[in-house]
Parts: sequence; structure tokens; C-alpha cells
Amino acid sequence: MSTSESSLPQTLPRTGAGRPGNPAPRTGPARRRSRARRALTSPIAYLFVAPAIAIFGIWTIFPTLYTFRVSTFDWNQLNPAMSEFIGLGNYRDMLSGSTNPSFWQTFGVSCYFVIANVVVGTILALLLALLVRRGSKLMAAARTSFFLAYIAPGVATALIWLWIFNPRFGLANGVLSLLHLPVIDWLGDSRYAMLSIIVYSVWHEVGFLVLVFVGGLMTTSGELSEAAKVDGANPWQEFSRVTLPQLIPYVAFVVIISSISSLQAFTQFFVLTGGGPGYSTSTIGFQLYQQAFVLGNTGYGAALAVVLFLITLVLSIIQLRISARLSR
Amino acid sequence: MSSTSTTLRNSTGEEIPRRRRRPRPVQRVLSVLAVLAALAFLFPLLWTLYTSISSPDDVYTLPPRIRPPGEWGHYVEAAAQNYARAWAAAPWPRYFANTVFIAVCVVALTLLTGLLAAFAFARMRFRGRGVLFLLVMSVMMVPQTVLLVPNFLLAQKMGLYDTYAIQILPWGASVFGIFLLRQFFQTLPAEIFEAAELDGAGPVRMLAQVAGPLAVPTMILVGLNAFMGSWNSFVWPYFMTKSDQLRPIEVGLQTFQSENGNDWTGMSAAVVFTTIPVILLFLFLQKYFVRGAFSTDGAVRG
Repeated sequence: MSTSESSLPQTLPRTGAGRPGNPAPRTGPARRRSRARRALTSPIAYLFVAPAIAIFGIWTIFPTLYTFRVSTFDWNQLNPAMSEFIGLGNYRDMLSGSTNPSFWQTFGVSCYFVIANVVVGTILALLLALLVRRGSKLMAAARTSFFLAYIAPGVATALIWLWIFNPRFGLANGVLSLLHLPVIDWLGDSRYAMLSIIVYSVWHEVGFLVLVFVGGLMTTSGELSEAAKVDGANPWQEFSRVTLPQLIPYVAFVVIISSISSLQAFTQFFVLTGGGPGYSTSTIGFQLYQQAFVLGNTGYGAALAVVLFLITLVLSIIQLRISARLSR
Repeated sequence: MSSTSTTLRNSTGEEIPRRRRRPRPVQRVLSVLAVLAALAFLFPLLWTLYTSISSPDDVYTLPPRIRPPGEWGHYVEAAAQNYARAWAAAPWPRYFANTVFIAVCVVALTLLTGLLAAFAFARMRFRGRGVLFLLVMSVMMVPQTVLLVPNFLLAQKMGLYDTYAIQILPWGASVFGIFLLRQFFQTLPAEIFEAAELDGAGPVRMLAQVAGPLAVPTMILVGLNAFMGSWNSFVWPYFMTKSDQLRPIEVGLQTFQSENGNDWTGMSAAVVFTTIPVILLFLFLQKYFVRGAFSTDGAVRG
């Protein structure tokens, strides 16, 4: 992450024309001199922002702080008053790896999932975006079908793949048996379970990333590409030396947002593997629920939430910096 | 290739060099690849549709059986059985009603809180505006996963566990919505508000009668995003509720699967009839989603 961040200052300003989202408003001095001043300086403004701030305060800001507090307790779910303050005890258990499964194991599983999901997702999204970037009806239909997989709900799509990965009658094994290959217990074999989940996750999420890249490609300079072609560059040279450098901010954006969403992933683990077999698909995101809601280790679950929050915070800050650059 | 229609001429009649255009065969290959990629992505959805109209005998076998046109009556029969069986196995009308009710409330609240806050942040001057806006934006950095444990504990404390309220209120404001509406309000010319003030309008009337009506397209985008996020949500209602009478469709679908684990044709039917509304909504209102897709909040709720 740090490398992509440090390279931003040189690469980003050149592509300032492109931005995902709506056109940024120009708030110039003209606006500030507006004469509709009296009505719009009314203290009613506080009443206007109050409902939103109240909802965020009650359901996001306070609970976030409360998570920190719960994470310092050996929380008693049946009778919270009986909870015992243990300071950093949950974090000590976490770092020493004495929980079951150990934190470091779930951390490793998370890294495997996030890195594979992000790398495969980003590359595939870029390839698909290059393929369907043009404005024809056919390409628009192709983009729609990628996006359809993204818009379809998580439980429904995970169930679809549960059926595809079914060891006896699933389509995945149908393909293997057609090719005369030995069949695989996709979700029940710890060597393949995570791989299967990654296949599902990439399928489910890549349509959104394709859209970001198509948006990015629309901002790249067609003239530069034409000039490169006229100078005799082959398509690969044109892509790697002309188009890709202009897309770097979009690549960074996609990497960060898909890292954040991969870290939070829960539904596919819940539906497809339940974190198993063994703990081979127990990510931090999955263990958090497991510990807090199934095993009753609420304090430890909260400590995992804090860790997840801190990682997300760092990624979000990087993302905000990228977005700020993009919207220039 | 020799036909004149493929050679392009510029305004003075000179032939434009071929290399400036992508040669046709390459376009053909790209089109074929795009179709293949699209089919690959649609295939799991189509396969579910196919499973839902097949008899178990036809799909519980490798490779699955595909019937010749003469036997297509078989599909009709199997479909009727699968859909009827799946529909009877769970309180679907209740799940649907809950989902729609929750989603509509979430959309209404999101738009109300969003319009008010966005208008104040965009057009009004008050002490602390910058700080409060930063506070709102910072909310985006807290993922739902982190919020679930503390909100579960707090919901129990407040007596909101297993209610509609816990499924609606926490989602009644959207950072994405406030951000987009604020951006829109900032683009409006100051003159229309000056004119409104001359007519004696206060901020409430300016929002309700001047700025609000102009913001309808942005409101549709924000509302749709909230609607889809609510409709597709699973994790939150799953842990925050326990009664079937209150639960939404995705939780219902998961419950159905866990109770009818080996009925794959019935499950496929349930997947189809629970997902069709979302897909239709998407196909009809596609253009709004494409704009909304750049949000990292909303539709991706899990």
C-alpha cells in the first residue's frame, strides 16, 4: 500500500480530468458573495443536520467507541453487569495466538482471501473493461451482464454457487467429469475451499470494478493512444506505456475499495463453508461473528472488530486521498 | 474487404489511413470475446433458472440431462412442482412484505435526513459546518462488520432487538446520499435562492419548493441505492432479529436453505422468485445504478 501511495503525487495530477462520481461543484468566490444571506444563516441549519447526525451518532459513532470498551472486558452476554474488566487481556490472547482458532491463523486466512480476491478481481476487471469499453449496444449488454452478478443479492448468489460446487451433482464437477478429471469436493476439502470462495467472490464483485475501470478508460486520452499507434506501437506497448499509466489512480482506487470490502466479507463464508473445513476459511471478518454471536466470546469478538476497524481506517484514509485526487 | 464501404474518406475525399481505425477482424474477435465473457457471467444465473424448471432426476446426475423439444412439457410440470413446493415451505409473502416495508421506510428516512443535511451543508452558513461535515464523512470509514457487535448489545439494552426499528433506524441516513445531494445543491445558482428570499421564503420553503424539486434525479439515485442496500441486506437482520414475522427476504432464503438443504430444484426456484424483483428493478432503472455504482456505501451492504 505504501508504495502505491507514495507514487501518487507524481502520477495523479496528470489524469485530473477523470473522476468517478458526479461532477464536482465549483464553489467560487461568486457563491460566497451570494445575497441570500439572511435566510440561509438561520440557526435552523442545526435542526436540518440534527436528524442525520443523531442517526450517525447513535448507530455508528457511539457504537464504534463502545466496541473499544467492550474489547477490554471478559464480556458476560447473559448478564453484562457481571462482565469482568481485563484491560488488554483480549488483545494479549490475540497476539499470543492462544485463542481457538489462533488470531494469526485467521489473519493468515484473511490475507490469503483479500490478496487473492483483490489481485484476481483487479486484473480481471481491467481486462474485461478493456474488452467492453466501447459504446456499442453489444458491449453495453456485456457490461450489464457483469453488473447483474454484482447487483444480485449475496445470499441468493452464494446459494447458486453452493449448488454449482455440490460434490455429487454440482456443475463444477460436471465439467471435471466431462474432461475425465477426478472430481473435487470443492467446499469440503481444505485445499480447495478458499479457492472456491474466491471464485465466487470474484464472480460476484468484478462487475462493479469493471464499471469503475470503464469510467476510467473514458477519461484516458484517445489522442495519445492514436499517436502511439501511428508511431508503430503494438497494442501491448500502447496499453502498458500509454493507457495504463493514465489509469493508475483508478487501479489504486479499485485495489483499496475491494480490499476494504473483502476484509468485511461474511455472507459467502457463512453460506458456503461456515468457516471450514477446519478453520481453512475462517477470516477475521467471519471469526468476529463466530466469536461474538456463536461462541459467546463477545469481548474477544469486539477486539477483532477493533483490529478490523483500524485496518479499514488506514485503507479508507488512503482511499480518501485517492478520491480527492480523482475529483480534481 | 475490397468493397468501398470499408474504406473511409475524410472531408476532402482522401482515404484515411487504415491503421487509424481498429481493423474489422479485431473488432469481430473482441465482440465474440465479449459475448463469451457475458455468457460466462450469466451462466450461474441461467443454470439456476434451468435447475428450477427441471425435475430432480434430470439434474441430480452428471452430466445433467437436457430434454429434446418434444419433451418440454416435462419442464412445465417440473417447474410447477418445484415452485409450488418452495413457495409452500416458508412464509414468503410475509418475508416479501417485511422486505418492502423495511426498504420503503429506509428510503424515506434516508431521503428526508439526506435532503435536510445536504441542504444545510451546501447552502447554509452555521458555526461548526466544516467540522460536522467532516464528522459525517468520517462515518463512511466504519464498516458494518465493526458495528454489529456493539449495536447488538445496545439494541438489547434499548429493547430494540428483534424489531422492525432496529432494521430501519440505523440505515436511515446515508453518507453517500448526503454527499451526492450536497454536491447537487452546490451546483444550483445562488440567484434562485435570492429570488426565493425576496418572496419571503425561509430555508424550509427554499428546500421544499425550490431546491428539493430540482433534486429529484439525484434523489432517485440515492433512494435506489438505499432500496437495493436494504433489499439485499442479510448480515444485519440475521443477527438483529430472530422472529420469522419480522425477517426480510434474504434471511428467509437462508433459513429456507438450511431447512431444505438437499432440495436443490426447490432452492433454485426460491432463489429465482426472491431475486427476480431485484433484477427487474435493476434492468428498468439501470442508468441510475451506473451512476450510483461509484459509491462505496449503499448497494454493497452484504
